[in-house]
Amino acid sequence: MNTTQFQEIAQGVKLLCINSKKFKTNCLLVDFYMPINERLAAQTVLASLMGHTSAAFGTFKAFNSKIDSLYGADFDTGISTVGEKVRIRFSIELPDDRFSLDGKSLSAEAADFIIDIIKHPHCADGKFDAEDTEREIRFTLENIEAEKNDKRAYALSRLRQLMCADEPYGIDSEKLENDVKALDGAKLFEAYEDLLRSSHIAITACGSLNSEMLSEKFTAFAESIENRRPAELSTVFITKADEVRYFTEDMNVNQSKLVMGLRSGMGNSNDSYYAFRVMTDIFGGGPYSRLFLNVREKMSLCYYCGARLVRDKGVIFIQSGIEEKNYEKALNEILHQLDIMKNGEFTDGDLNSSKTALSDAFRGVGDSPASVCFYYGSQAFDDEIVSGTEFAEKISAVTREQVIDCANRVSLDSVYLLKGESGEDE
Amino acid sequence: MNNIKEIKNELLGDRYFEIDHSSGLKIFVYPKENYSSAYAVFGTKYGSVDTSFRTEGEEDFTSVPEGIAHFLEHKLFESEELDAFARYAKTGASANAYTSFDKTCYLFSCSGNFEESLEILLDFVTNPYFTAQTVEKEQGIIGQEIKMTNDEPGWESLFSLLRAMYHNHPVKIDIAGTVESISHITADLLYSCYNTFYNFSNMALAVAGNVTVEQVLRVADKMLKAEPPKKIERKFLPEPPTVVQDTVVRNLPVSMPIFAIGYKEDVKTPCRTLKETLESEILLDIIAGKTSTLYEELLNDGLINTTFETEYFEGYGYSAHIFTGESNDCEKVRERINREIIKVIKEGVDRETFDRIKKKHYGGVIMNFDDVGSLANSLVGDYFNGEGLFDQLSVLESITAEDIDNRLRTAINVENSSMSIIKQD
Repeated sequence: MNTTQFQEIAQGVKLLCINSKKFKTNCLLVDFYMPINERLAAQTVLASLMGHTSAAFGTFKAFNSKIDSLYGADFDTGISTVGEKVRIRFSIELPDDRFSLDGKSLSAEAADFIIDIIKHPHCADGKFDAEDTEREIRFTLENIEAEKNDKRAYALSRLRQLMCADEPYGIDSEKLENDVKALDGAKLFEAYEDLLRSSHIAITACGSLNSEMLSEKFTAFAESIENRRPAELSTVFITKADEVRYFTEDMNVNQSKLVMGLRSGMGNSNDSYYAFRVMTDIFGGGPYSRLFLNVREKMSLCYYCGARLVRDKGVIFIQSGIEEKNYEKALNEILHQLDIMKNGEFTDGDLNSSKTALSDAFRGVGDSPASVCFYYGSQAFDDEIVSGTEFAEKISAVTREQVIDCANRVSLDSVYLLKGESGEDE
Repeated sequence: MNNIKEIKNELLGDRYFEIDHSSGLKIFVYPKENYSSAYAVFGTKYGSVDTSFRTEGEEDFTSVPEGIAHFLEHKLFESEELDAFARYAKTGASANAYTSFDKTCYLFSCSGNFEESLEILLDFVTNPYFTAQTVEKEQGIIGQEIKMTNDEPGWESLFSLLRAMYHNHPVKIDIAGTVESISHITADLLYSCYNTFYNFSNMALAVAGNVTVEQVLRVADKMLKAEPPKKIERKFLPEPPTVVQDTVVRNLPVSMPIFAIGYKEDVKTPCRTLKETLESEILLDIIAGKTSTLYEELLNDGLINTTFETEYFEGYGYSAHIFTGESNDCEKVRERINREIIKVIKEGVDRETFDRIKKKHYGGVIMNFDDVGSLANSLVGDYFNGEGLFDQLSVLESITAEDIDNRLRTAINVENSSMSIIKQD
């Protein structure tokens, strides 16, 4: 595989094409990055709407029939946050040109399709189509509400909101809901124009692709947008928590959810990243981790208990599903395991297991076009791209001292319990 | 002697090897050029529906508690010395396992130390170790896993639907069982299930990715001792063709009502052919897929949102066409789906639509051939179903619009359906 760097093809527009003949599919991502601000509600609706209709394909049926004609392409749009950036992603994965039954280039058609739906959405006279707008507002509201159906995700989202209430990262879903309700076709159009003008755009492609063709198409696209002025993007890293805050909420659930939010101590997304990654992994990564082996296997308190480092915000989230009566026990054991990390009382075996597993996993990122795109696409803002193999080498080079040092920079910020009320089903 | 057969597909430009190993185990190896990782699956044709069974020579059927196949999957990772996870921790492989209605699979993926990891897989799956103490410990962990899924409305809705559709078929029981049912599991019962179903004649191993036949055989020859095949007899109570209940409503904390509508097929034989399965998937797309008129109308009328999905659900002795989603008027959605099914049965499927959807499925099949995990899992699953991995392409090619018309008429009867609704108290 031939990995190069992202190329700046226009102001604030980057392209990375990874050519590999070993795949039968091609994958293409077009990502728009913006700061988290008051436009979030409109952006959330846009991310859904622009994946359902466009000027050329004005109905669901027409739009999806076009996708089907690309040999059942896997097409999606979505919105998420990367640190304190908002990312709207257009993604498509489809069979390689050599499987086309009529000789047409599917990858060229896919690129044209994505560019077309971005440049020509379903609008007229400075407004998005009224029916589309109404329908998509409904979808978005139902989607925000539906978060509470997934108790694990809901509890994490609540912790994040409460812990980061004073930071853009702590998105308030109630406010988001109200903002969505206040939208109309004209406001959506305003946000759409802002999206084209002020976002950073990263295009990542992988497969048996014609890089020149892609580069030409996307350069023409980037150049066709007038008055581009990409907004400043930044994320606040709080390196130390003040006093620990405790939150409890009730819901009629069988299993209580415990979520803990910690400040890792990272000052930016590259600050000792590999050592923090190994530290978090020994603590609560795979089945060899301290949390899995102790909270689950030894104490039988839960089915899952793990920790995850959010690189782009410098926070660590710990999640577990427990009996409410075991709350103190689980919390104490998790903190005890964190102390073991801080005191350097983990074994060399723990350290090696984590390094071996992480390196092994990253050596394999090149084995599907989608995983290649996701992995490299996430590096669009880095000065230098790190390949899967280089990532593995950096992980292997992490020392015990570095891990202990990282653990000692970690501070507990917030503890959230979604408490089951009855514990009885039906 | 190991008997090796090469199976090629010209369109894909790929090949894999099917091996009758001297131990009695069926082995598949699918080498992928220029891949860094390999993915291995060791599976047994034994899942949650196998609740009553005997082997040749045994007079009585053994009936076991619900959820025992899944419990056994958890316990197999343990041994008298180091458990499997601790051993994998040394090789760096990422390991896991899953239990479904009809199979249990143990897997790992890795980009280095492949042979060492395969040795661990073959070793722990063929060497059970259960004690009263380790069984008790697992009851706590799985109890929490069950409680977690009890809080997942989509999962609960599916099982409510299955209980409304099936009188006797064990597909209606939760794969993990209940907190109560797993309390009856003992080490002896686990051994009894293990000795019945974990016999090479009922198992398969598949490896895909950066791997060669020689590597796999080197480990298999070393680790697998020949064992005589076992004839397993599973007991299923006769299942009436009709559903149990028309509508079942449960209360759980959800943002808006969730529905699952299932059309129960009156199956004359225990298994569907690959052709029937593909036909069913195509017909679901024609009736309610994203390019269907029905889907667009339901969306525009505010009756569904984009969580709406269809699924063809089938296995040994059961088959149903299922529609799921969220709606504030679930009854209305059901009425509209019924109306559409009757219309398509009457008018026949639109030929242009059929061609487009067939093309979509053709692309979908091809896209499965890049991912080593999906390849290894499919090799095992297809083998248990009596199919070959490349069969899908040729069978799909052979399907005509008339086949879909016929399948629709025989497989879906709007008079024989159930609906589960989950809503807020």
